[in-house]
Amino acid sequence: MSLAWILLLPFAGGLAAWIAGRWSDLWARWIALGTALLHLLLLLVTWGVFFTRVAPAPGGWLMASKQPWIPQLGISFHLAVDGISLLMLLLASFLTVLAVLTSWTSITRSVGFYHFNLLLILTALSGVFIAFDLFLFFAFWEISLLPLYFLIGIWGYENRVYATTKFFIITQGSGLLMLVAILGLVVVHWQSTGVLTFDYLDLVGTVMSDTKAFWLMLGFFIAFAVKLPVVPFHTWLPDAHTQAPTAGSVALAGLVLKIGAYGMLRFVVPMFPQAVADFTLTAMILAVVGILYGALLALGQTDLKRMVAYTSISHMGFVLLGIFAGNELALQGAVIIMLSHGFSAAALFIMVGDLQHRTHTRELGRFGGLWAVMPRMGGVGLFFAMASLGLPGLASFVGEFLVLLGAFQVNMPLTVLASVGLVAATVYSLWMMQKVYYGANTGDWQVDDTSGREMTVMASLIGATLWLGLYPQPVLTTSGHALAEMKKFAAEARATAARPEGTGSAASGAVAATSPVGGERP
Amino acid sequence: MNPFSALTPIVLLGLTPLVLMLVISFHRSHRLAVVISLVGMALPLALLAGTATSAAPPLAPLLIIDGYALFYIGLLSTATMVVVVLSYGFLERVPGNREEFYLLLTLATFGCAVLTASNHFISFFLGLEILSVSLYGLVAYLRTTRTALESGIKYLILAAASAAFLLFGMALIYADLGTMDFTAMTSVLAAKTREPSVLLLGGFGMVIIGAGFKLAVVPFHMWAPDVYQGAPTPVTAYLTTVSKGAMVALLLRYGQYGGLLDYDSVASVLAVIAVLSMFLGNLLALLQDNLKRLLAYSSIAHLGYLLVAVIAASREGSHAVTFYLVAYFITSLGIFGIITALSDERKEADEISDYRGLFWRRPWVSGALSLMLFSLAGIPLTAGFVGKFYVLTAGVLSDLWALVILLVVSSVIGLYYYLRIIITMYLSAPEDPSSPLSATRRFSLPEGLVLAGLTVLLIWFGIYPAPLLSAIQAAVGSLA
Amino acid sequence: MLTEALTTSALLFVIGTFGVLVRRNAIIMFLCIELQLNAVNLALVAFSRYVGVEGQVFVFFVMTVAAAEAAVGLAIIISIFRHYRTVNVDNFNLLKW
Repeated sequence: MSLAWILLLPFAGGLAAWIAGRWSDLWARWIALGTALLHLLLLLVTWGVFFTRVAPAPGGWLMASKQPWIPQLGISFHLAVDGISLLMLLLASFLTVLAVLTSWTSITRSVGFYHFNLLLILTALSGVFIAFDLFLFFAFWEISLLPLYFLIGIWGYENRVYATTKFFIITQGSGLLMLVAILGLVVVHWQSTGVLTFDYLDLVGTVMSDTKAFWLMLGFFIAFAVKLPVVPFHTWLPDAHTQAPTAGSVALAGLVLKIGAYGMLRFVVPMFPQAVADFTLTAMILAVVGILYGALLALGQTDLKRMVAYTSISHMGFVLLGIFAGNELALQGAVIIMLSHGFSAAALFIMVGDLQHRTHTRELGRFGGLWAVMPRMGGVGLFFAMASLGLPGLASFVGEFLVLLGAFQVNMPLTVLASVGLVAATVYSLWMMQKVYYGANTGDWQVDDTSGREMTVMASLIGATLWLGLYPQPVLTTSGHALAEMKKFAAEARATAARPEGTGSAASGAVAATSPVGGERP
Repeated sequence: MNPFSALTPIVLLGLTPLVLMLVISFHRSHRLAVVISLVGMALPLALLAGTATSAAPPLAPLLIIDGYALFYIGLLSTATMVVVVLSYGFLERVPGNREEFYLLLTLATFGCAVLTASNHFISFFLGLEILSVSLYGLVAYLRTTRTALESGIKYLILAAASAAFLLFGMALIYADLGTMDFTAMTSVLAAKTREPSVLLLGGFGMVIIGAGFKLAVVPFHMWAPDVYQGAPTPVTAYLTTVSKGAMVALLLRYGQYGGLLDYDSVASVLAVIAVLSMFLGNLLALLQDNLKRLLAYSSIAHLGYLLVAVIAASREGSHAVTFYLVAYFITSLGIFGIITALSDERKEADEISDYRGLFWRRPWVSGALSLMLFSLAGIPLTAGFVGKFYVLTAGVLSDLWALVILLVVSSVIGLYYYLRIIITMYLSAPEDPSSPLSATRRFSLPEGLVLAGLTVLLIWFGIYPAPLLSAIQAAVGSLA
Repeated sequence: MLTEALTTSALLFVIGTFGVLVRRNAIIMFLCIELQLNAVNLALVAFSRYVGVEGQVFVFFVMTVAAAEAAVGLAIIISIFRHYRTVNVDNFNLLKW
């Protein structure tokens, strides 16, 4: 079975929604919702297939498909899904459903084009998660910027032009840096084997000198670090989040940040093991700085949305820590945080969006005592505040615990510092609850509590968070399998390429190993 | 087969202005002039399909009609056809005689065709001057408006002076190598093992000045913003595409045969020019409010990018240059086409503020314009992205790391002004209902078709460039 | 002999270039360009004596092109004079130079 449906379905749905939006807003919304739900359903079925498999395929790819695209440059349309891709696809699809639901009443202008953009984000991010050709990966990576650019620029809040331009330029700049790194890698591979190719499976085993490896690794690292974001590269994030419409924030926090982490997992770690080992300390320091800095700045914000944005920086610091700690525990933890942060950040941004829709403000100082008028929303807020501070039994606890456990084996002092971030998380989460829901209703707010539609959205997020917190095993199995396979595969490819007689055949061998995987699986 | 039959495309291109001249002297009709020029451009295209595969026949020493020349002739005459369609709507709005415009336009394209096929300094110079002299007339065509006249005289003086430089450079190279024939130069250069003489290097330098002027690269760019702004918009489109494209085609060929790129000193001079063009073009474009002026600076930057692939001096470099040019042609023609088609009698739609809120009035037009601008900025799904990617690849394959990194940095700077135009179109329309909206003219059917076609090509080459790449590889392969 | 010819033509060319750069009267600037072209012609004829006939042939082409250029150029200058009543390029300031 070809994997193209993962891309074509949301794209076609988006086009249909756009066209339908010319006549009826409601049609556009329903088409978008239906497409996203169908996408999610099909992915869940695929995940089910994953568990019924008896033995994993060689290379660990669940499914793969490869078509020549620009043969002159060794570029192919190579798609493949492994456990990590699948988890990320599920997250993307799930959050898109929620994004459509949250914009049901709040978006009234150009509804068709809006939903086209939402589904285009899903298309592009799905592409990022399943592209196994570096050119293709880069193309999807860049395409994902366009709909976000429009989402923030057209439907955003007061300062949207500044925010969206800054977001676009910074992330595009980092993307071009990655392009240079990709080209560098391709050229290194071309010089050693004489084969010009952009295929991930061929390039992953490229043997190169330590200096070259370090610079190329740095190019990839910075590109992904901007998206993650790691602290010196984070300045676009608070602005973009604050000005984005709710669905845009959900997509940004839930998905766009994840492609940074995904890129590190997929490219940086397996491709440059030695350079990564040398870089571990720096990256872990950056991660801890991010954890503490994000938490500290979250405490200093007066804008509720901006505060949530800063907590994202803090959480993504844990992901970076986990990835560079490098052992299995920490990597698993990083994957779990990617998912759990997707849920909790999405929930918090949706909550802020709902509050702003009702009160027309995001100023923390103007809230207070909202529990009295909207107890259901308050309950939801409390739940996700707890999830964010890492209450055992909820999703992020599992992830952060695993990351800290793994990182502890690598670098104790930094891990201790990182755990301070957990304390800070408690402070800002409770502080937020205090400011918004508890105390006297000084703003004299008389607003409706959550509607059924809003509650459905929240309930699904609560369910996901609880499930991931209480029974993470299916996720751990899926990602663990993929992580182990990825590591093994990269090592094998490198060993083959290092053998003098193996030059050139490493590439074809790798492809041959994966191509029969196909869809013949039961 | 008569070897001169290979010359048919160029002969046809040369006949077109003659036929036009005769027809105009008997019967003035705007429509007829347009039809004749379109047919004159289309006929060689139709013939190209038949001759493209045949090997380069030995012709008179001046011209060489190989696959490379044919590819470029096809590209240039197609672009000219687009300009002709755009000019029709434009000229309908202005007073005075219109038919001579097409005479000059087709003559200029004939000059370009000679340039792309030239194999000798004489044909190089002749082609260039046929192009230049026609362009003087085109730039100053609206001879009742002051801006047109001003840009006309500026272009005239600077172009003529730069042609003199080019000529002097040719004389110096001739003195050193003893031949003006490109093919002969290759063998003379191959026989030389010593360092290049001062004469030769001086000659190269002056040829670069002359060519650099036509390409409007820094520091020979001073004319570009004024002429772009002052010239009629279809002429601006022509200047930025056909005229530059022909020069690049010649430069590639001359670089291949004439040893232009074999010397480090020449390559480093070109590298400096490329870097200056990229940065100055993009930085000065940030300051512009006039769209045509902004595009002049953007074009300076793009030629800088292109030079990176020229300096790469490799097979991939030549492919990249050609692909980039095709993408750039489509994009530039599209943007200037939209500017032309949105302008009306009252006002030219060339200020960025004219485009405010365009998306809410003309979603299709602004969508197409956004795509064109994204293509210039090098965002995926557009031909411009593949072009830029190819240029970067060519640079990296030739180990030009510094140039590649500078290219990336400057194109990030360039993003800002493209985004500025795009976001303007998506802002709300001006509140004041009394102010007449600018940029509101409805497109005529041919304009709409041409612009839609360009947009489709832009996406097609962005998503599936493989067929175009094979065509380019076949064509440019005949060069080496 | 070659050196003398080259020096003379280079000198003429520099004078021409200098004139284009400093003079402000469009006609004089145009004349200076003609001077440049003729400097090249001189050089080409001189070189031709040593390396072959091509240079002399080229001179005829250059002369023809120069005539065409003068025709179009003077036409533009005349239209400018009709509009501005001057041919001093410093007065053309609608566009930034």
